[in-house]
Amino acid sequence: MATIELDQSLRLQDPAASFVAVPPVAPVSIAYRHLADMVDRTCERYAHQHAFTAVLPNGMFGNLSFVQLQRDADRFAVFLREELGLAPGDRVALQLPNSLAYPICAFGVLKAGCVLVNTNPLYTPAEMVHQFNDSGARALVIVDLFGDKIAPVLEQTGIEHVILVRLTDRFPRLPGFVAYNVIKYWNRLIPACSAPTIGFGAALARGGHLLHERRVQVADYTATTSLDDLAVLQYTGGTTGVSKGAMLSHGNLLANMVQIEDRVAGNVTHGKECALAVLPLYHIFAFTANLLYFFHAGARNILVANPRPLSNLQRAIENYPISWIPGVNTLFNGLLNEEWFADYPPPKLRGSIAGGTALHSSVAERWQQVTGTAVIEGYGLTESSPVVTLNPLDASRPGSIGPVLAGTEVRLLNDHGEPAAPGEPGELAVRGPQVMQGYWQRPAETAKALKDGWLLTGDIAAIDDDGYLRIVDRKKDLIIVSGFNVYPNEVEDCIAGCPGVAEVAVIGLPDAKSGEQVKAYVVAKAGAGLTAEQVRAHCKQYLAPYKVPKAVELRAELPKSAVGKVLRRELRAEAARTAGEGEVVHG
Amino acid sequence: MVSQTEQLLLALMIGVIMLGMGASLTWRDFFRAFKRPQAILIGFASQYLIMPFIGFSLAVALQLPPAIAIGLIIISCMPGGSTSNIFTYFSKGDLALSVTMTTFSTLGAFIMAPLWIFLYGSRFMTNEISVGMGSVIVGLVVMLIPVLIGMVIRRRNANVGAILELIGGILGVVIILALIALWVPRNAPLLATTPWQVYAAAVGVGLIGFLFGFLVSQAARLGFRRASTVALEAGVQNGPLALSIVLLSFQGELANQIVLIPVLYSLFIVITSSLVTLFFRRQNELRQQHAVALL
Repeated sequence: MATIELDQSLRLQDPAASFVAVPPVAPVSIAYRHLADMVDRTCERYAHQHAFTAVLPNGMFGNLSFVQLQRDADRFAVFLREELGLAPGDRVALQLPNSLAYPICAFGVLKAGCVLVNTNPLYTPAEMVHQFNDSGARALVIVDLFGDKIAPVLEQTGIEHVILVRLTDRFPRLPGFVAYNVIKYWNRLIPACSAPTIGFGAALARGGHLLHERRVQVADYTATTSLDDLAVLQYTGGTTGVSKGAMLSHGNLLANMVQIEDRVAGNVTHGKECALAVLPLYHIFAFTANLLYFFHAGARNILVANPRPLSNLQRAIENYPISWIPGVNTLFNGLLNEEWFADYPPPKLRGSIAGGTALHSSVAERWQQVTGTAVIEGYGLTESSPVVTLNPLDASRPGSIGPVLAGTEVRLLNDHGEPAAPGEPGELAVRGPQVMQGYWQRPAETAKALKDGWLLTGDIAAIDDDGYLRIVDRKKDLIIVSGFNVYPNEVEDCIAGCPGVAEVAVIGLPDAKSGEQVKAYVVAKAGAGLTAEQVRAHCKQYLAPYKVPKAVELRAELPKSAVGKVLRRELRAEAARTAGEGEVVHG
Repeated sequence: MVSQTEQLLLALMIGVIMLGMGASLTWRDFFRAFKRPQAILIGFASQYLIMPFIGFSLAVALQLPPAIAIGLIIISCMPGGSTSNIFTYFSKGDLALSVTMTTFSTLGAFIMAPLWIFLYGSRFMTNEISVGMGSVIVGLVVMLIPVLIGMVIRRRNANVGAILELIGGILGVVIILALIALWVPRNAPLLATTPWQVYAAAVGVGLIGFLFGFLVSQAARLGFRRASTVALEAGVQNGPLALSIVLLSFQGELANQIVLIPVLYSLFIVITSSLVTLFFRRQNELRQQHAVALL
């Protein structure tokens, strides 16, 4: 029986199918011993160029050159090892928004031979407790904006040391002082912190002191580190809801970096690009795309801590020659709706990368119209470091997540876990050097997700004849109306094209007659005067009757995740709650 | 009323504030204002069609004595004041549009102000009114030069620009509060003896100006942010220019009567603009896109 990946490798030998430079099964070659090695050599290569620039909403900024970053990361590594006494493999939780401290700390942790635990700063104390206990973190680096959460968390976890970071750390002195006091006294965003902490500046100073006093060779900390060693614990809810740590090794992350490089190679000039880092670096997409890939390409990463409201991005986009924007559908859509952006899109923009959630074709088209550049859609998961597929910039296909990356194999599986019939959609399974080692201390969960080295994604995909993949939908989001499969993405894509619609989410609700029914939640553009009936009429024009939402609810906003993904499961939970109260408004 | 030193100090501080305002602007902001000229046109129309008419109507409706009425007509025919820029900045409106409108209405004042003062004023009084154009030019330059310098500084170094912007903002609030705090006690006797009709006219002309500027802009679908900007531009008149016109054109007791409404207007407009600004700021903040929840 011919499996899909066999089919594909056959097609790849066809000279006409030149969309992938490297056959999928060829190994990815990594020129570095581990991530710290990559960081060091990259910093030496681009020395005095800007590596990171943090931009505040009022335009204030702080720069970090590659050499400054290397020096600070070394000091931080020394501080962790010499002052705090952490051992190789110890977990360090990093709970920071995008700021100059983030790359210093992340690279510092890796240089110390420790394991990085990325933590969402918006986590509640209960979520923090779970994540710190699960990972066994010994040290926590946290932004002062959430300093009030530390004390209640410390009592219930094994965290021994807390390093407190300011958003303005490593800014030039006067702007840093002014900005810090505006945040503290005008915005009143810095709560009192009763727990014992060490300031980030003091930690770096102490690390620098010990570095000289003890004549530390920072590279010695990672002398025995190999590509198979654990680098990052990246927590993900996954399908089961319990947050678990995906174990990403140095090799996983470096492989993905090289794979992305391979896909965008011709369109990225090393040492010349400027990438907007508006997605949070603690999220795997920005972590790999901005912190690893664009950093390694010698790009200047423009860090924005909080793009809420979106006008906070205006200075960052206007003041710097942004050439790449990794983002998500809601970000691209939101930017297009900002007048300052639509009137003057970044003139140096070369391309944008969409991930995290499906890119609506109407958004992609408008983006191309407005900016004159393409937004290429990719696909990935936390468990695959994250990128699995990515469209090439010059051969991007709308509605497709692109061909698989180099060194990556995919299979489509039917409901019985067997390869689906050729041409049929099936659950996407992935094998490649970027696939995680497993879930941290959860063998049962790992066994469910990884079967014979194949990562089961829970997403239903289809493969076009030339190897481009399409995500048909999340397996669990699939709506079955009277036995017909309805993919929420398709309905959302249709509604997003309806005039007056700003945002949309579609879920399935239990229905006595049809088993399930389609329900759409729509956010209308201000002043559009949109009605539920208009939305339904639009759908009837483009969709088969069973796909047309039976109910359309207009609302002010949609529940979203940290990266702006619309959370269908929250809508489902909410619908389940209100079902008994008969609050569903039918259009 | 206001001493020479105080006037100089005020001009200096306005200069610093405008420097800060400039530091919050880019050329693109102005290009964007010109990309949609309907806002500028509506601002101009509010300034020179609606405002003079409001002034005239109020004078008739409240049956103001001729001298007082002339004062009202004069203030309602004035171009926009640079204070409207400061309030627009605080209300998170479209500052570039505000500065553009102030510039245009000030330039337009050469023809429009004497024309409307003559047309509406002749019903009450036939004196010749000389509009001192020298001060108009000085006022415009005083306003635009620091804005320009601020923009250049911001372009050269965003950190310095942001600090200037902050200083300008703080100084702006200080001045607004100081004006209210100093004016009221100093003019207490005047305030106590003024009849209600005069109050109604002095306060009303600004408030009705805000209202009509806003409604017309909304009707023209300029969007809330621009509508709030046009509203502030329409309601906030160049008070000092009105005062200088009165003092140049009239003498003695007559001048004292005519100047009454421009003086009262200048006081109350700071108070009403502050309140309107608080409302607009809240509304403009609510209307910002919070689409992507990050951090």
